[in-house]
Amino acid sequence: MAHVVLKELVKTYGAFKAVNDVSLTVNDGEFVALVGPSGCGKTTTLNLIAGLLPITSGEISIGDRVVNDLDPKDRDIAMVFQNYALYPQKSVYANLAFPLQMRKLPRDEIDRKVKEAAKVLDMTHLLERKPRELSGGQQQRVALGRALVRDPAVFLMDEPLSNLDAKLRVQMRSEIKRFHQDLKATIVYVTHDQLEAVTMADKMAVMNGGFLQQYDSPAQVFAHPVNMFVASFIGSPAMSLIPLETSTSDGNAVLSGAEGWRMDLSSLNARKVQRATTSKVVLGARHSAIRLHKSAVAGAIPARAYTVEPTGDVTFVQAMLSGAIVNISVPPDIAVFPDEQIWLEFDQDRMHLFDGATEMALNAD
Amino acid sequence: MTPVTGQYDAPRQKQRERSGILEQMWLNRFDYLYVLPAILVMLIVIAYPIYYTIDLSFFKTPPSLQLRDKIFVGTDNYAAILSSDVFWRVTMNTVVWTIASTLFAFVLGLGAALALHREFVGRGVLRAILIIPWVISAVAASYIWKWIYHSDFGVIGAVLVGLGLTDRPPNFIDSVNTVLPSLIVVNVWREFPFAMIMLMAGLQTVPEQLLRAATVDGAGAWQRFWHVTFPHLRSVSTVTILLLAVANFNSFIIPWIMTGGGPASASHIWITHIYELAFGRQRWGVAAAYSVLLFLILMAFGYFYVRALSGSERKDHGE
Repeated sequence: MAHVVLKELVKTYGAFKAVNDVSLTVNDGEFVALVGPSGCGKTTTLNLIAGLLPITSGEISIGDRVVNDLDPKDRDIAMVFQNYALYPQKSVYANLAFPLQMRKLPRDEIDRKVKEAAKVLDMTHLLERKPRELSGGQQQRVALGRALVRDPAVFLMDEPLSNLDAKLRVQMRSEIKRFHQDLKATIVYVTHDQLEAVTMADKMAVMNGGFLQQYDSPAQVFAHPVNMFVASFIGSPAMSLIPLETSTSDGNAVLSGAEGWRMDLSSLNARKVQRATTSKVVLGARHSAIRLHKSAVAGAIPARAYTVEPTGDVTFVQAMLSGAIVNISVPPDIAVFPDEQIWLEFDQDRMHLFDGATEMALNAD
Repeated sequence: MTPVTGQYDAPRQKQRERSGILEQMWLNRFDYLYVLPAILVMLIVIAYPIYYTIDLSFFKTPPSLQLRDKIFVGTDNYAAILSSDVFWRVTMNTVVWTIASTLFAFVLGLGAALALHREFVGRGVLRAILIIPWVISAVAASYIWKWIYHSDFGVIGAVLVGLGLTDRPPNFIDSVNTVLPSLIVVNVWREFPFAMIMLMAGLQTVPEQLLRAATVDGAGAWQRFWHVTFPHLRSVSTVTILLLAVANFNSFIIPWIMTGGGPASASHIWITHIYELAFGRQRWGVAAAYSVLLFLILMAFGYFYVRALSGSERKDHGE
């Protein structure tokens, strides 16, 4: 296993910058998820690491080697693809053996390694089958096995679970996580599903528009998003972002909404607001950081319920506030009806404040 | 009136399985009505000629008699064909012609398809140029090639003499030894674009991810072709080869126009031979017997064609 270092990585297609100055370090044995919406450059970044695309500028090292000019086969990587990319005419055994044959290993060693990998992934009984005779989950396991036999320095995984149905995805998610824990493997994992990234990765690199937005542990990214994009992308349901105005009342900073209401701020939040470049500030709050009241409470803001979505464990209520939709979770035994008058109380310690102009998180110091 | 097809009625369908074929036909009687016009047309333009040809193959039709005065000879025509030298020579020519044309057209088409599959400047133009042999009239092409090969005025001969490689222009289509290979060259030239187009379509369906996976697995360009691309082209290759083989077996225009089967039957293949027997020498009975044999052989081809097609479909369903 080895670490991977990306230094100021750039990939352009003509005038279009697909990957923009991405620098990050994947430590030995770490599971890093590259996450972001379609077209954010995450798969391109993975292909650059694999060597399937030439880089425009920057540097990629795997282990202590700069691999910029090496062919994929010489980079000591293995890759797992979204569509499994198994060779359809070959049996499972031949699929697993293929990368070893390409390396011209002796036949008995190939046999030993293939059987070992099959045992690890519990598919010894599938070795004689053709890929089309396997289920999606089994095919993905074969793809994992084909990566495993190589004993590579780094595993690169390109949305390996996207083609599976929801139930199987959850199951394979824990299998891959277990795979990582058992092998202490260095894994770079691309996904557009933030839930996969949050649940599986040691660290996540959130990308958008070719730029690396934030690179940190899922807990940190969740608790301290650096900007509005990360805040809205990570977490489900998405964090509500409410555009507001700041003003000063009796010497204290307050926020006011389009409906004319005002919200007093804690001293910490007031300090944050004062650092905003303009008077426009965006309030961010996850559903669990907002309390719903059915009667007026001091500090709570009046709103009207818009839609109500019971999910069983918890009921999500959407309300319109200052032109934005706000998501609130309430226990299922509290009945809320559409168009009902409600009051929302924001948790001052758990709410986020963003600069309305730069969209960056506001910090007190 | 509601057509009774039995399709919408599950219990009745079950009942149908138990009953006889006649009852099934009766239940589906309206379906037969719908296909009746097509069946009638087929009977008139296909079934009757087939019947008439088979019938004719048992008669002798001397040129001195009118066709309706034909003489029944049983299987004499077949016996005469199978025991004649010409038959075996023509059959040999047909086999060589079919196999060589099909093989070279396929290999050349595969090479062209692979070359054109890569991105490069001028690809569109080159593709258009390579398709030309296939889209121009075969008759015109045959006449042009006849002149290209001409032993006195041919371009190839002139170039060879001009380069000093030979003193006299070679005889391409006037010599019994070179005529068949020369015609095969023309035929391959004419039909390789067909193989190219088929295989180009096939190449577009080779999954990009599979090629990438092979790259990461350490396969070089040739190994990627052998382990990923070529297996993927298997179904389309089978169909292409079968279609080429049938077309070559049935070739007429190129050999007939360029040599008329000569010299000394050296370039006669079945179709040209049958044509000459029937329309040149009015030996309808023998020509009909030849046609029946040809029909049987082509039906065998057809069987393999259908099997190859349904085989690839079965595989697609499985995947």
